[in-house]
Amino acid sequence: MQLKPGAAQLRRRLIAASCALLSTPPARSQENPDPGLVGRFLQAWQFESALAYYHEDGRIQAVEPVVSASHDYGDGGNVSLNFTFDALSGSSPNGALPSHAPQTFTAASAKSFASARRVYTTAPGNLPVDPNFSDGRAAFGADWTLPLTRLSRFTLGGKASIEDDFYSTTVNIAFAHDFNNKNTTVSFGADAEGDIIHPVGKTPVPLSDYAAFSREGDKSKTGAGALFGVTQVMTRNWLTQLNVSVDRFTGYLNDPYKIVTVLAAGGDTAGYEYENRPDSRTRKSAYLENRVGGAHVSADLSLRYMTDSWGIRSQTAQIRMRLWSPSRQHYIEPTTRWYHQSAADFFNPWLAAADAGSTRYISSDPRLATFHALTYGLKYGYDLGDRLHRSNSEFTVRVEYYRQTLEVDKPVPVALQGLDLYPGLKAVFVQFGFSY
Amino acid sequence: MERDLPKVWAQRGAGYSFFAFVCLALGTTIGRAEPLDLSGLHGRVVYLDFWASWCAPCRQSFPWMDSLQQTYGAQGLSVLAINVDHDRADAERFLKQFQPRFEVRFDPEGSWAQQFKVTGMPTSLIIDRRGVVRFTHVGFWPAESAVAAHEIRELLAEQVGEPQ
Amino acid sequence: MKRLTILTVLTLGCAALTGCSSLGVKPWQRDILSRSDMRPNGAGLDDAIDEHVYFSKEGSSGGRTFGGGGCGCN
Repeated sequence: MQLKPGAAQLRRRLIAASCALLSTPPARSQENPDPGLVGRFLQAWQFESALAYYHEDGRIQAVEPVVSASHDYGDGGNVSLNFTFDALSGSSPNGALPSHAPQTFTAASAKSFASARRVYTTAPGNLPVDPNFSDGRAAFGADWTLPLTRLSRFTLGGKASIEDDFYSTTVNIAFAHDFNNKNTTVSFGADAEGDIIHPVGKTPVPLSDYAAFSREGDKSKTGAGALFGVTQVMTRNWLTQLNVSVDRFTGYLNDPYKIVTVLAAGGDTAGYEYENRPDSRTRKSAYLENRVGGAHVSADLSLRYMTDSWGIRSQTAQIRMRLWSPSRQHYIEPTTRWYHQSAADFFNPWLAAADAGSTRYISSDPRLATFHALTYGLKYGYDLGDRLHRSNSEFTVRVEYYRQTLEVDKPVPVALQGLDLYPGLKAVFVQFGFSY
Repeated sequence: MERDLPKVWAQRGAGYSFFAFVCLALGTTIGRAEPLDLSGLHGRVVYLDFWASWCAPCRQSFPWMDSLQQTYGAQGLSVLAINVDHDRADAERFLKQFQPRFEVRFDPEGSWAQQFKVTGMPTSLIIDRRGVVRFTHVGFWPAESAVAAHEIRELLAEQVGEPQ
Repeated sequence: MKRLTILTVLTLGCAALTGCSSLGVKPWQRDILSRSDMRPNGAGLDDAIDEHVYFSKEGSSGGRTFGGGGCGCN
């Protein structure tokens, strides 16, 4: 009897439904006693958690706990939820340059420049930093994956994040299809984001004089991005993935707390201005990843190239090597990352007073400068799978050292000679992880 | 004596290619193991399952297959699980955890998997009492395991010698 | 340079769909690929935390976040 494909599928589902009523449940062997409600909940979900601690030499420190939970439905679908909390504190550079004279600034949380305010002073020779920086963040994300056929699936997700001065929501979709006996996977994803910037002490008018304390209302920005990727199994030991992506943000893209030192003709500090960045930014990137592995060793090599409409071009290369013990009970994983970026067109460590009237965009934020960064890290993992009777359970700890070295190629004015104008960044990162 | 190098390389290349082809051809015939022998199970319904220790859905299929064997064994069902792990030790660790009460055989070269044209992991084939593959399931879904149970009951009801 | 990049990406993409039908492994040969350290998103939480740190300290972000590979089961 010939059945049309749809009818055969329906027949199977009806049989399944009626059989579910009539069939005997699986016999409980000694290995699988009834786990009870909590036990069944734990069996149905997988958890991953981490506690990360980040510490910059003399600057910011952050503590960040993260928890994620994932549940597989019986038909290939999946839901996953994640929660992140962030507590930052310490000293944050405000964008001004060091000087041979002491400098005085008003903290961002001040209600006005003239009224009672938190003032901080930077000693001669030091990089000006706001010593009372603090920020908290709570973020939540969820993703649902729905199988369409045995070879394709659709994902829908969202994220929301709240900070003292920043609210963000993102929606994302993705579609993936497998070919060639699941040796090739083609994926497409897109996302859209909307953010509200609500700076502490209100939004400064861009390019306005720091001392004038001119303020505006809250700002917003929106963005959208698309990502296309191909994952290909090359051999039993080698997998490769290539992703290309583009995204564009428009709206308020400034850092509301960053100022730029204004220099008089001889190089003396004449004052400060608030920075200003273009109101749109388009980024394109290509990412290539290769994973090679054997019974006890694997390596993850990735390369990323990015360009954007602000003139920034960056290259990233990272290697992670996992070295398992003979029993695969534990492993160590050294990692190295090299990053280089070239400055944004409007990056400038200072603004010459003579140019003040004609400069439309300027920022001295070191994140937009030319620099290279190196990360060295080591991770240790212990497989708890056998002990806890879970297939993916482990305890991990990793330590990383991150160092940014700025490369600013500008002749230094006489008044700034002998100062370390671009100290860069040094940070240590420690993370404990547990998955169940 | 002047040698026509491109011609020499072409001849050498052809020679090596032929040699390689012969090796490959021999290798694929010599390397092939004996086909899976199910003669001992003739007259019984066979649930033939291809599994591996690294296959996550297999962790769910094993308790279910164990209960299948217990429930329908007396009526003529034999569950036969073929392991395709490269390393026997990985398979042994899996078996130690699940303690199945059905027959397990080992196919580390994957030649039986090739013979039955396995297109996904796990794959189960339900074979009737006359040795004919009647149903194939690629993947294991707890929600659809009832369908396979129904198919098994259908085949158990057929006696050997009954017309199709 | 831009045209070269686009051409490279398109070529690799097409190669993946057509020429790569000869690349790959049989379904029962995915033992190593199914290990978490061989999956493209195997270190999900670590990568997400790293991404957040680098995003706040550098000018670039993103690129990763797709699956494929793995054990190919179900």
